[in-house]
This record gives sequence, structure tokens and C-alpha cells, in this order.
Amino acid sequence: MASLAFTPGDNLLRMKVRFWGVRGSIPVPGRQTNRYGGNTSCVEVRPRGRWPIIIDAGTGIRRLGKSLMDGAFSEGAGVAHVLISHTHWDHIQGLPFFAPFYTRGNRVHVFARQREDTHLQAVFASQTEDPYFPVPLSSLRADIQFNELVEGTCFQLDGAKITCTRLNHPWIAMAYRIDADGASVVYCSDTAPFSDVLLEHEFIKTPPTVGSPLPPTVAEKLATMREALVAMCRGADLLIYDTQFTPDEYRQRPHWGHSTPDDAIAVAREAGVAQLCLYHHAPMRTDEQQDAILVQYRDLCVRAGDPFEVLAAYEGLELVLGDDG
Amino acid sequence: MQIRFWGVRGSIPAPGPDTNRYGGNTSCVSVTTASGHQIIIDMGTGLMHLGNSLLPGDFGKGRGKAAILLSHSHWDHIQGLGFFAPVFIPGNQFTLWGHAKSPSMLEGILEGQMNPNFSPIYTLKNLGATFEVKAVVAGVPFEIGSVKITGRPNPHGSTTALAFRLEEGDRSFVYASDVGYPDDGPSAETLALYRDATVLLHDTTYTPEHQTRRRNRGFSSYEDAAGAAVAAGARHLVMFHYDQDYTDVDVDALRDACREALDRRGGGNIELTAAAEGLELEI
Repeated sequence: MASLAFTPGDNLLRMKVRFWGVRGSIPVPGRQTNRYGGNTSCVEVRPRGRWPIIIDAGTGIRRLGKSLMDGAFSEGAGVAHVLISHTHWDHIQGLPFFAPFYTRGNRVHVFARQREDTHLQAVFASQTEDPYFPVPLSSLRADIQFNELVEGTCFQLDGAKITCTRLNHPWIAMAYRIDADGASVVYCSDTAPFSDVLLEHEFIKTPPTVGSPLPPTVAEKLATMREALVAMCRGADLLIYDTQFTPDEYRQRPHWGHSTPDDAIAVAREAGVAQLCLYHHAPMRTDEQQDAILVQYRDLCVRAGDPFEVLAAYEGLELVLGDDG
Repeated sequence: MQIRFWGVRGSIPAPGPDTNRYGGNTSCVSVTTASGHQIIIDMGTGLMHLGNSLLPGDFGKGRGKAAILLSHSHWDHIQGLGFFAPVFIPGNQFTLWGHAKSPSMLEGILEGQMNPNFSPIYTLKNLGATFEVKAVVAGVPFEIGSVKITGRPNPHGSTTALAFRLEEGDRSFVYASDVGYPDDGPSAETLALYRDATVLLHDTTYTPEHQTRRRNRGFSSYEDAAGAAVAAGARHLVMFHYDQDYTDVDVDALRDACREALDRRGGGNIELTAAAEGLELEI
């Protein structure tokens, strides 16, 4: 594996996106996941000559952290931005294993959606202290700052423009768009489609019947949510989308908050993206099954004459976005 | 007792081709007793795969019953619970035995992981199966079928982790993961718990070099494990809870070094096994 040592000023030509964890729900080590990888959600976005923007902190962030320790982070002079889609385990469980935290001088800025009742820092702190973890946040050497976001907010990070909008997932997740160097990537995970159930704070015990009509206020709220997502995805070079389910699996579990490739393709078409990347693969999906899903949906898009390319994320996949700088 | 390893890794799951042989799942061991009772020790990610394997039997029909022994509540020992399929099937019955001042405190700790910030399950009340929590009293045995179980806390960094001794007739299995002894080694109580074990499963997270640098984390090196096995007169030592950075080749070397350590310490007659996912042992 090529070293990803990174220092601002490196003469990278364009924005790069690298996948460090592509799995949903729970890490799945084993021979059946060797090619796509068994680590949970983590994507690194590196605008040209700037500090890394990391999206989600599943177990994949452990190896990402190690790769950063070749560069400025090993000297305590690194800065990382971490955008968290939501705080379900598979999106935060790698955070305490992020090596730059353990070197004094590094600065890590964590961003996630604001809670109604709890400070973001408390949410993270409660996970990393006794009795769940031996190293409390307060003992980490790096300077860690937590930033609470409201959906629709737009802000600048080290020259990159970040936009966010909410998704349809239990306890609510956030999608992010990063624009830099004339390139753009959207990270949309985790979300259910916007058609059968509204997922917010309530626990839904019995799955709704897929396809049955919704109360108008609910349907309207979902439609608005989807419109905002499509608008945020407009013209993106890369759309990374939660496609954990096959259509059959979705019909059984529409209330779990995950989509199918069909849902992702519909959003990709409407938004006119250049590349669609299937992401957040189901834990029990073998490499061969994932290959078959990719082939099936690639063919579907080719036959439909879709202008975008369909990919399936795997650990180590690196994409270069935008025009030559 | 039939023992099977479902997860043998420490701290965090370690997927990848480098860990295929020993496995990258976190701690989970199953024990089937002579009386046919099912005992599960620790709930790392290996628990998901154990759960799926149980579905064709009684657990798939809501007629399953198992005891869960929990060494401590660090992430890598509880992160499989929400993915353990039998626990969502009404009719199944689970009794979890763990370390806390009271059952309600331990239940609260597990609830803290199920809360909606972290899990779509929201609360243990949504599990479906009956899930009873009991607190182990150090040194006071309890029975599950034909097996007598004793738990004792071992030092583990800034906290403690229970070690368990399971006895069936004249055979015994001791589970001692996540332990970092003080400089003078295991206490008399700990050695008494390990004494003459037919099989002693022991934390071997590190090489001695790595252990020295990370002493405050509360894990053992293979030297600590070999020392404990010889001092307690164990007949068979099982290595367990490998560091997440160790590849299969590293664990092979760890095993060879542990063999050498046993021989050097006068434990040449002690059998040695490096635990691997899927491996079964009959006691």
C-alpha cells in the first residue's frame, strides 16, 4: 500500500477520496470479506494541499490514523477534520484508535449534528470512559474540539466548502457535501429511502408495509428531505450512498434506515452526478455477492443510458476527482 | 465440555487477509456442557457468528436457553450483543452474569450502549428474548446444568475483569482474558482460581517488549501467561486476545515464543494452543 503521508503543500494535483472502511452495522473480519474489506465506515477526503477531511470514524479510521503518522501528525503539527454522519456505533467505534489523538500538538475538529438534549462532547465522552473504554477523551494528548451542526448549515474548513442536510435514519443522520479544488463529493449514509417511513426519534417496533400510503404530513416531510438531498447532490463528481439492502431485504426491514442501489440510482439520476459509489455494505454480504450486486446495477445503468459510472466501495479504493489542476 | 472460539482478538476487530487464520473478531467463546447447557463467555463481534450458527436449532424457534458470562464491559467484550440474532427472538431465555455491585448497575451499563445515540435498538427492553442480568459475587460459585462456575476479579488497567472457572466433574476450564498483573504476579486468590485447570485460557495480548511499553493498559504478555500456567499447575494453556496489530505470522511467532517460555519455566509438560476462530476443544 502506498504511503499516504500528508503535509500541506504536497503537490497533489486534484482532490482525492480514499475508502478505509466500507461496511455497515458491525466489522466483519474473515476470508469472505477480504476484497471489499470488513472495517466499518470511514472515508478520507483530501483536497489539494490541505489537511484531510475524514467522514465517519468506524473501525477503518484506525489504519487511516496510522497512515497519517508518517507525516506532520507524528510531529504534533497535524490538523484533521472529522465529519460524523451520526453516532451509531459503526460510525464512531474506531475513534479512540485514531493514532493522531495520542500526540500532543495535533488538532482534531469533530463535527456532528446537534442533539436536542445532550452536548456532542458528552455523547462521545460517555463512550470512551469507564466502564466502556480504558482511555477517556480527557486524557488524549491532541487538542480535540467538538462542533455541533444544524442541517442546512454551510461552512468553510481550511478552504473547502462543507454543506450538510439531514437523512431518514433512526435518531437522524447527516449527509455532507465537500467542494474543493473545483471538485465535489457527497457522502450520504445512513438513510432509508424517503417513501415508506419517517425515521426520527421514535423507536419503530413493527415494520410498516412497503408501498402503503403515508399520512400527507409525513409524506410531505419526507419529500422535502429528499428534495434537499437531491439539491445538495446536484452535479457532484462523486456520490457515496448507503446501499446496505437488496430490494428484498428492504421490504423486510424498511424501518432500519438503509437504502437499496435502486434508491441511490434514482437520486444520482435526478441530481446529475458523475459517479455513484455503493457503500455501507451489509455485514453478511460476501465479496462474491457484492460483485454480483455491482454487475447487476452497472448493467442496469448502462442499459438505461445513465451518464454516470457505478462503483462499489472497497477498502483501499482511491478516487481522484475533478479536472487536472 | 465442548469449547469453541468465535472471536479471539483484543480491543477492536481486525479485518483483513493478514488475520484470516486466527481471525479478527473480538472476544467470544462458547461452552456446551455435558448436560447440554449452552454457556457463552463475552460478547465481542464473534457473538454475531455464534448467534447465526444457533438459529437452525432451538434458538431459531424461540426455545433456546443460554447463560452469558461477561468478564467486563469494555467495548470489545460487549459490542456483539446488538447483532446476536437469538436475542431478538421471543421465547429465548438468556441470563447474563457479570461484574457489578448490583444487577441493576450492570443492566444500566448495558443500557448505556443500547441507547439511541449509539444503537438503533434504543433499549434492552426491545430485545425480544428474556434477558435477565445477575451480578457475580467474587468467589461464590453458581451452577449451570452440570457445571459449577466461580468468578473472581483480576486487575485490568484502571479497572478489573472477571476470570471464570468452570468445573464439570474432575475437568475444569478457566477463562482469564484481559488481565495485567502487578509486578509480583498473580495473587494467591487468582492462582487458586487457576489451580490445576484442565484448560487455562489466558490473555496473551502482547510480546513482553510491547507489554512493557503499554503496561498501564492492563494486558498480559505470553510470559505472564506462561508464568501463571506453570505456577497454577495448569495442564493446557490457550493463548487469547491478540493485539489488533498482530498478523497471523506475528501470532505464530507469539505461540512459538510462548512454548519456549513454558519450557524454560519448567512447564514442558503443559500443552499449548493458540486460540483461533472456529477451533474446538473438548475437555
